[in-house]
Amino acid sequence: MTALLELHQACLGERLQRITLTLRADQRVVLLGASGAGKTTLLKLCNGALSPDAGFVHWCGRPHQHLSRRQRRRIGTLWQDLRLVEELSVIQNINSGALGRHGLFWALRNLLAPLDQDTCLGVMRKVNLDADLLQQPVRELSGGQRQRVALGRLLHQQPDLVLADEPLSALDPTLAEEVLNTLLLSPGCLISLHRPDLIHRFDRVLGLRDGALVIDAAPDTILRDQLEWLYAST
Amino acid sequence: MALRIHLKPALPLIPLLPGVSLLGILLVLLRDGHGGGLPLLQQFAAAALQPSIDPAVLGSLLNGLQITLVIAVLSWSISSVLGVGLGVFSACTFWEILAGVRWPAVVLRRCLAPLRAVHELIWGLLLLQVFGLNGWVAVCAISIPYTVLMARVIADQVDCHVSPAIPVLKGAGATPWAVMLTGLAPPLVQPISDHIGHRLDCALRSAVILGVFGLGGLGTDLSLSLRSLQFQEMWSGLWLLAIAMVVLDHLLRRLRSWSRMLMLPVAIASPWVALAWGTHLDLQLALPVGKWFMVFGNLMGGSQGLSAALEISWPGVIGATVWITLIAGCVATGLPPLLMLVWPSRASLCLQGVVWGAFRLIPAPLTALLLLMLAKPSLALAGLALGLHHSGVMGRVLIDDIRSTGFRSAQTLKSCGASPRVCWLYGPLADVSRAYLTYAIYRLDVILRDTAIIGMVGGAGLGWQLMEALSSFHWWLVIWIVMMSAVLTLLGESLGERLQGIWNSRAMAL
Amino acid sequence: MLVRESRAVLATGLVAGLALTASVASCAAPQNDAKQTVLQIGAIPDQNPEKLNRLYGALSEELSDQLDVSVRYSPVSNYAAAVSAFRTGSLDLVWFGGLTGVQARLQTPGARVLAQRDIDAEFTSVFVANGASGLRPFTSADQLVELKGRRLAFGSESSTSGRLMPQYFMGEKGVKPEDLAGGGPGFSGSHDATIAVVQSGAYEVGALNEQVWRSNVADGRVDPDKVSVIWRTPPYVDYHWVVRPGLDDRFGEGFTNKLQSALLELSAETENGEAILELFGAERFIPAKDEDYVMIESVGRQLGKIR
Repeated sequence: MTALLELHQACLGERLQRITLTLRADQRVVLLGASGAGKTTLLKLCNGALSPDAGFVHWCGRPHQHLSRRQRRRIGTLWQDLRLVEELSVIQNINSGALGRHGLFWALRNLLAPLDQDTCLGVMRKVNLDADLLQQPVRELSGGQRQRVALGRLLHQQPDLVLADEPLSALDPTLAEEVLNTLLLSPGCLISLHRPDLIHRFDRVLGLRDGALVIDAAPDTILRDQLEWLYAST
Repeated sequence: MALRIHLKPALPLIPLLPGVSLLGILLVLLRDGHGGGLPLLQQFAAAALQPSIDPAVLGSLLNGLQITLVIAVLSWSISSVLGVGLGVFSACTFWEILAGVRWPAVVLRRCLAPLRAVHELIWGLLLLQVFGLNGWVAVCAISIPYTVLMARVIADQVDCHVSPAIPVLKGAGATPWAVMLTGLAPPLVQPISDHIGHRLDCALRSAVILGVFGLGGLGTDLSLSLRSLQFQEMWSGLWLLAIAMVVLDHLLRRLRSWSRMLMLPVAIASPWVALAWGTHLDLQLALPVGKWFMVFGNLMGGSQGLSAALEISWPGVIGATVWITLIAGCVATGLPPLLMLVWPSRASLCLQGVVWGAFRLIPAPLTALLLLMLAKPSLALAGLALGLHHSGVMGRVLIDDIRSTGFRSAQTLKSCGASPRVCWLYGPLADVSRAYLTYAIYRLDVILRDTAIIGMVGGAGLGWQLMEALSSFHWWLVIWIVMMSAVLTLLGESLGERLQGIWNSRAMAL
Repeated sequence: MLVRESRAVLATGLVAGLALTASVASCAAPQNDAKQTVLQIGAIPDQNPEKLNRLYGALSEELSDQLDVSVRYSPVSNYAAAVSAFRTGSLDLVWFGGLTGVQARLQTPGARVLAQRDIDAEFTSVFVANGASGLRPFTSADQLVELKGRRLAFGSESSTSGRLMPQYFMGEKGVKPEDLAGGGPGFSGSHDATIAVVQSGAYEVGALNEQVWRSNVADGRVDPDKVSVIWRTPPYVDYHWVVRPGLDDRFGEGFTNKLQSALLELSAETENGEAILELFGAERFIPAKDEDYVMIESVGRQLGKIR
């Protein structure tokens, strides 16, 4: 399997130090680290929202800045703050996941009258959203429903690699389980979590401490002490 | 049910929809187009690069600029302070906390609205009848409509920033004043100080328009240069005005970045500075003495009150006014988001800011004249001229809003692989659409009043009739027209409120 | 945050201090209450500001020398504002157009006409037409009916030569404003702008002051291929000086008469006088009486510009 995402000696100010990392399409990776360890920054480097000061981040062998739209949409992100388009309805938000495959005219039509209802209903079923909510403005939804809409948008994007920033925080256990299951269905993923107890669901564990990558191993080779040290204060 | 929802355009699309009217206007321009005015347009453009540097011209312009600045600062600060006070009094929340009822706020609002319906230019001409040439006439002429407009915005802001803590505080037995101070004031500081800052720019432009009085302001020189088509002299004035606008804007930004709390103290303190400055200028700032009997004597003496109302064919005039206002509103609202979609990048925001600055800088009568150099007069052209001027204001609002909301949403969509245009459409433009539309509705008010200043394009509309009546000193007709515009403003306002209700607008970050 | 707060306090202090200093300064500064002893002159705006400032700067100086009082010129850029300023006493001596002068005198009992230019006794307006309109020079006033259905531009709404008299002569031949294309005339705002809008083709016909037309032709600002005169109105009286009553009480017995003589005695022989007369576009000023403007008044009433 070829490398999808490759970071080489990537630095970003004080926040990240010389990260070298290769992600493959068939790997489910969990990213652990205390708050402030640089997990969000690393994910933003991976999806191109931030650029490294030094070193490089390559997607399929090309630097992020030079990615075509087609390549960029193969990386999907589930943001910690969801980042839904507040002024739009559920279906329009889910459709916005497909904007990478369409042009401006489609985007305008989607604003005038939502498109692809059937596909969206399918997506909503997958993320357990009530079909009645289809036309509801997302502003009026509850926290859990919003989480599902964001997940639906991600699914509709059909990415090869899913990046998720603490997707389970603030979710009740049932919903958290459901969200995690859905995320793990994708071909490859990098998920940052505060839940060391879940590492056995993944193929690979990354540990960040003070901006440095200190753990990169299979879950069954990781010792309890290592995890505790990861969260211990300096 | 489903069908009805299907046809409902989403909120982010609504600011773009008025842009469709540009197609119609383009057709009209093509139909009425003539190239006859190109030499004049060339002269105008060439003069921009070669403004007059005759010392006599520059001296007079600099003196005029100072007078204009003094008037602008005085009227800005007076209207800000009074506007905030009146705004709080006309907020429903205020009365609910104080007395548990809403009606005084509604009554106060409705009473204030007619004051707003009269253009500052008309206020100026009316006050001039009573007080003669005096600096305070210009200051009051700007302050009256600005105070009331400010009061409306502030009242809306107060009502939409109701803190959930208020019932808790009330329950805890706090006095009404304490409730307001803790629950109401803090979230208001930012929007109010932003709006106050924004109004200085407007006050400066109004003071320029008011140079129409013999106060020697920059506006006098500009309008005289325009009348005699002395573009080089005019550009000297326009460049000076542009510099003043940029400097003031920069100062205010600096002030806001220092501390938002400062805006109100500055507004309170600045009139004294302006007054001190004014005494060194050729500006009458002695307390004016009113001569009411002349105006009222005229009214009492005449018995033509009713017959005056029949001199105008109201349906035609009102129709033209509404039509011009609508076209101008569509152009002003639709153009800025369209340009942003055509040119979607953070880097281009600065350049777009310059474009909108230029539109604000060029007074509407000048825009009208320049457009006449390209096309024959029509209502659409009048609307376009007004709309272009106001799109300058709307463009600034849009850019400010987007800057303060940030670009995170565009980034989100970019990482989905959306094209830059789509990123901006679903990102920043969608984020600010609600606030932008709210502001557009306020703007319609101003546009309706501004129909007074473009008689050049066919002499149509209520505003023009008012100028005509004023220049004939036909007081009864003046009263009828002012009343009619007040009614129109109020109707427009309640329509706007209903639209806002449909958009379910709750927060308006201005 | 703390730094910000202390900055804010500092800045508030600065602002307050500045305001205090300024208000003290404003009390100390001389107030403009010497108005009683200053002769305030003004003019309706119909020329470019540079010219107006030069013209009235020179005139103020001349009058000040001749009459031994201080003279102050206030520019006014709106016809109606000039009338109101005259009525309320903000202006003592104003250079009015025919219509505005009558309006001002009717509103200010006791005001009188002092003088006019030699050319004002027989002033004329011209109708100019764009070549593409197909209008050819009229041989008689009857041909004014050809203006029906045309796009026509006047100048300012209160202008005698750019609106009132042309509209009157059109009315004489049965051409009402409603007969024009677009349901009424356009108002370009000034004589120069009228030429521009007609020359460009935006309007087919325009009416303006003949003096302005001639000076534009002389300066080469008119393209004779595109715009030409199609008709000249019969002569009427126009611009004149109007003075407020009560100047004798303020400046001394016989002041108004002295003022009149000072204006009439301006001659091209003195350097200052030559400059002033040249800027006015006249050889000299001649006496004028209120009665000269009766015709303008009746036209004004007929067209609803005087109530």
